[in-house]
Amino acid sequence: MVVAALPWLITSPYWRGILIVCAMNVLLALSLNLVLGYTGQLNLGQSAFFGIGAYVSTILVKTYGWNFWLACVAAVGAAGLLGLALAAFAVRLRGHYLAIASLGFAVITYQVLINWEKVTEGVRGIYGILPPVRSTTALFYVVAGIAVVVYVLMDNLVRSPVGDTLRSIREDEISAASLGVNGAIWKAFAFGIGAAIAGLAGCFYPGFVGTLVPDAFNIVESFTMMAMVIVGGMGTMIGPVIGAIVLTFLPELLRGFGESRLMIYGLALTLVVLFMPGGIVQAWLALRSKFS
Amino acid sequence: MSDLAALVVQQSVNGVYLGCLYVMVALGLTLIYGVLNQINFAHADFVTVGAFAAFFTATRFATRVLGLPDAGAYLLSLIVALGVGALLGLAVNAAVFAPLRRGDELRPLIATIGVSVLLENFQLWLFGPIPYQFDSPFSRETIRIGRIFFTAQSVLVVAVSAASIAALYAFMRFTFLGKALRAVAQDRETAGLMGINPNLLIALTIVIASALAGMAGALLGPVLVLTPFAGATVIVKAFAIVIIGGFGNMQGTILAGILVGIIEAFTVQYLGSGLIDLVVFVLLLVMLVLRPTGLIAERKEENV
Amino acid sequence: MKPVLRTAIAAFAAAIAFSAFAQERVIRIGVLMPISGPGSYFGVMGKEGIELAMEQVAKNPINGYRLQVQYEDSACSPLQATNAVKRVLDQFKPHIVVGEECSDASLAIAPILDQAKVPMLNAGSVTMKLTESGYKYVFRIFPNAEQQSLPLANVAYKTLKARTAVILHEKTNAGSDNADGFEKPFVAMGGKVLAKIDFSRDVNDFTAIATRIASLGKVDVLPTFALEGQTVRLSQALAQARVVKGGGGNAVQMGSIWLPYGYDQKAGQASEGYVRIVQFDPSEKRAMVQSFVKAFNAKYGADKVPTHINAHAYDTILVIADAVRRGATDSESMRDRLSKTKDLEVTTGRITFDAKGQNSDLSVVHFVETQKDLSWKGMSWQ
Repeated sequence: MVVAALPWLITSPYWRGILIVCAMNVLLALSLNLVLGYTGQLNLGQSAFFGIGAYVSTILVKTYGWNFWLACVAAVGAAGLLGLALAAFAVRLRGHYLAIASLGFAVITYQVLINWEKVTEGVRGIYGILPPVRSTTALFYVVAGIAVVVYVLMDNLVRSPVGDTLRSIREDEISAASLGVNGAIWKAFAFGIGAAIAGLAGCFYPGFVGTLVPDAFNIVESFTMMAMVIVGGMGTMIGPVIGAIVLTFLPELLRGFGESRLMIYGLALTLVVLFMPGGIVQAWLALRSKFS
Repeated sequence: MSDLAALVVQQSVNGVYLGCLYVMVALGLTLIYGVLNQINFAHADFVTVGAFAAFFTATRFATRVLGLPDAGAYLLSLIVALGVGALLGLAVNAAVFAPLRRGDELRPLIATIGVSVLLENFQLWLFGPIPYQFDSPFSRETIRIGRIFFTAQSVLVVAVSAASIAALYAFMRFTFLGKALRAVAQDRETAGLMGINPNLLIALTIVIASALAGMAGALLGPVLVLTPFAGATVIVKAFAIVIIGGFGNMQGTILAGILVGIIEAFTVQYLGSGLIDLVVFVLLLVMLVLRPTGLIAERKEENV
Repeated sequence: MKPVLRTAIAAFAAAIAFSAFAQERVIRIGVLMPISGPGSYFGVMGKEGIELAMEQVAKNPINGYRLQVQYEDSACSPLQATNAVKRVLDQFKPHIVVGEECSDASLAIAPILDQAKVPMLNAGSVTMKLTESGYKYVFRIFPNAEQQSLPLANVAYKTLKARTAVILHEKTNAGSDNADGFEKPFVAMGGKVLAKIDFSRDVNDFTAIATRIASLGKVDVLPTFALEGQTVRLSQALAQARVVKGGGGNAVQMGSIWLPYGYDQKAGQASEGYVRIVQFDPSEKRAMVQSFVKAFNAKYGADKVPTHINAHAYDTILVIADAVRRGATDSESMRDRLSKTKDLEVTTGRITFDAKGQNSDLSVVHFVETQKDLSWKGMSWQ
């Protein structure tokens, strides 16, 4: 597969690092897509779960000497639980209220990370974190492998009746309720899984960067993740993957343009929402049908 | 006056000053929601744009080109920020809100997020990342009443916010356009049937809200670290205020804004400035659980 | 001229030029500075200092080696610094990296550079962890937190006769280290710390904090460790709350090297009575300092006073040039020559690195107090 060959084609350590970032972003985009794309819940708090995953796994390994993989499982569990907690809120909230509540959730998590210095070291940061596998190539294979597995599992999930249920909640929650769909349980399900996957991505992040500071998990991250999902194509499986890849590589390639390259996020998001709400996937399908 | 009493009064005064600033920002948000049923995530950036516009007016244009004294320059910058905010609102409405009006409620929200990121990075490219020091000449004048002190700036802020609120209130209550706005807020379709042009009114709402945001930016300039990301620090609190006060409810927003300002001052006193956001947001979540419709409840039914 | 002859001459000339070019060897210096973000004035001033030094000291090759500099923006943030250092290591392959200014960012890049066996020359961070973590490739010419705060505590207790203090600091490694560095010795001598107030970098209104301090009773000194922008606002708020001398109060604000020379002008009357520790003093009579100031004015304008940030950055090039002069040709020999730097005179004093890579020569460090006319008056030399 192309993906497996990538680390051999790209030899510079810096770009290999970008590949790893891309794989993590794919995971994050997929996690958000389940909640946003398939269940239609505007969750702006995804950065919180990413952060929980990162901090729980790192603290368990560094302070308590746990094995990395066990710590990762614990981190995923913690993130998932937190996702369920947010779901408890989401149950009674609609649209805008949910958006702001989830934002508030993300802010609170961020503030806890900053202020609970005894445990997280706050803004001082945790330094010298080692990745679970030494070489960059190996790390890429691990993260990309996990992303592929998650993709396949999620794909099966959305094709199953569960997927239909989630979609019905997205389309029209009230009508779905009238058909006997218990919105609360399914929303909790989506939030929990989405949070857990984001936590999973969080496990690998500190080891890759080497330094862990709360700043990596402020709410801008949530917006970036959302941009990836929407620009790629909300509600499809391949959409978030494409969105993650495009929005990871484009700013790097545009580095020559200086600061203006960051405008690409805002520009892409706005244009897509205005003209192409289905994202790149929609554009691709439209193009294909034009030429067939 | 006992020490404790002086302290309480002083921090309350500090809190009211901050609160008025937040109210100016939150008022625009709540207005847009009340009439349009939409959240404008780019609101923070309107504030930042207003702050920059005011900065350049006060420090470059008014003083060097027009030769005004500092005080006059600052006051002029308030007006300029008002205008710039209004124009920006008009532009964003035309580009984003108007075309997306007939869709689901998620799309405009996400579009405003995109506009927000775009505005931030555009300003980053334009003004650079180095923080600007925006000083208001009124901040240097201290007024003392007994043991309580405040600056001329805080008096200005309170006066301007009070005036803006009064003007807005009068507009909504006593003018035809204002009443039409309230009609649109209640029921857009019926209002349309009655010969009121909803598009025009919506544009008007956004313009008023953005103008308020722009002016808030000018007033906030001395309080914020002025970078393209300055608005972000305020917007989260503004959202909290809007929810605590009740979405679309003007009185609630004002009350909540002042409350948040006072909470902030007392949090600094007893807990530390790092915990402000935490306290405000815990309050927000508590409100969402106990009283989702806000401090001053206003029933809003959701139609299927 | 015959075409064959012409070609031959051209080829000969090209060969000479090429061999001369091949002779010229390069020492690549990567520079990580905060060009964006709240610490960006560090980056701007740092770049000014380095550019001046390159003109003055490194215009011609040293020992046959030309010095070449490349700048990267690390934005005073550990994340961006990590990215920037990885990028510069990958693309520029420097023999030595100068950076960063902010402690958090410096701590983030230190392990990476140490592992890559590329020496790191730091001229702006105070955190103790930088030289206490066992890195073999890290060198610092800037006084660390303890070197700065211990004299501050001494002056506070012994010279100013202060017995109560309220410590104000930004919520970063640098701020916290400095705060602790003051608190420990001050308390050990018998002083009392009434409160330790921290704040994040996006706080710009300090009225509430100043009110809180005013409510704490008699405060003698206010050691402050924050960036310039925030310190200006803080001083003004403290003056308004009648806490500090500049506002009619009695407390004396104290600070470390963090504040550049323009602070007093920006803060106005509020800065009166501010006591700070300085290492670079543009009025110092030493020849090297005066010629630096002159050259700085010539390049950047007669009304621009060089700050310690300019001076420290300038000195990094002096230190590197000195190492190259003594035989540094690559990363390993650079590290070796740096560690052997002894008594090197620079604008900010003299450099001798100890076993941990920290410059331990503080002979030029002294205290100044801000006067009513906002000028500096030297206090007792330490």
